[in-house]
Amino acid sequence: MAPRPLSPHLSVYRFAYTMALSILHRITGVALASGLLVLVAWLLALGNGPQAYAAFTGFMGHGLIQVVLGAWLLAFLYHLANGIRHLFWDTGRGFAKSAARRSARMVIAFVVVAGALLVYVFFCPVGGVQ
Amino acid sequence: MAEFQLPPGSRISNDGKTFKAPEGAKKVRRFQIYRFDPDSGQNPRVDTYEIDMAACGPMVLDALIKIKNEIDPTLSFRRSCREGICGSCAMNIDGSNTLACIKSCADVKGADVRIYPLPHMPVIKDLIPDLTQFYAQYAAVKPWLTTRSPAPPDGERLQSKEDQEKIDGPSACILCACCSTSCPSYWWNSDRYLGPAALLAAYRWIVDSRDDSTGERLDALEDPFRLYRCHTIMNCTEACPKDLNPARAIGEIKRLIAGRRH
Repeated sequence: MAPRPLSPHLSVYRFAYTMALSILHRITGVALASGLLVLVAWLLALGNGPQAYAAFTGFMGHGLIQVVLGAWLLAFLYHLANGIRHLFWDTGRGFAKSAARRSARMVIAFVVVAGALLVYVFFCPVGGVQ
Repeated sequence: MAEFQLPPGSRISNDGKTFKAPEGAKKVRRFQIYRFDPDSGQNPRVDTYEIDMAACGPMVLDALIKIKNEIDPTLSFRRSCREGICGSCAMNIDGSNTLACIKSCADVKGADVRIYPLPHMPVIKDLIPDLTQFYAQYAAVKPWLTTRSPAPPDGERLQSKEDQEKIDGPSACILCACCSTSCPSYWWNSDRYLGPAALLAAYRWIVDSRDDSTGERLDALEDPFRLYRCHTIMNCTEACPKDLNPARAIGEIKRLIAGRRH
């Protein structure tokens, strides 16, 4: 007899909001942790004098890098909001299906509103990161 | 470790057969069903059955029974009560785990009804998964009353109405495995993570006022894998056909373990 096959999982399971938010929490967590390297680079540039700092800010001002920074900001907002959602769960609240769906919508709404606001503040031509 | 791709012998081949609807069928619906024949030595495939819904019962199980009786007797699946209390006909229908007997075909949006066995399980034949491990995990949480105090001489061990209400929900679990096999954490770590069904059962005995082993039960669960592979994805609670809440039960176990540290 042939060995038993494994039934399909990811390829057949409907990608519901539950899994989407969960995997997004992990992805944004990894992005935030690896993004800390940018902070380290910034501190190094700061310690290495005005020339190094100018080179660093010049590099960070590149359009593509700005897009990555914007994504990083959204990742931070999402991880923050969904982290608070997890804290509520840790106190035993918000487990009802309806409550979990509502808190998921609140997280997304927060990211959209706060994200739009902060992206505007940080990345619009007037002021902010050069 | 998480294996996102199916192993080579598990991948679905393109050899699926199509069974056409009979002449004069009025309301034809296509059912795409996962097939695996252990005696053929071939990979699983997906067969397509065209069914005249005008001559078929409303539930997905009715369609499966019609296929087995009238179209293809080789189709294998588990079923018994046909009213959502035995848990035998748990399968993945339209992308979510549920019981075929209480899932209406009309509730399946989209043209075709896609039916697979419970996800990430060894398949014995067609829609029948091997639940040996699942049952072993249930047994591992010692789902029975343990006491140190002697039983009252004149009757049963009683509990208050409030204490009974704490276990009403979790006691209603029918062990269909819809929740555990909907959980990505269980997919990737079913060798070490107990899964929502077993943990719901564990919770049922932890909060039972008549049970004297609460501490030992929590000790047995305080483990990075057995309990803490739950990341509150909530697929379990969304999938449960009995509308129970394994995610809340697991959250409560985590709280009890955290609470006794003080």
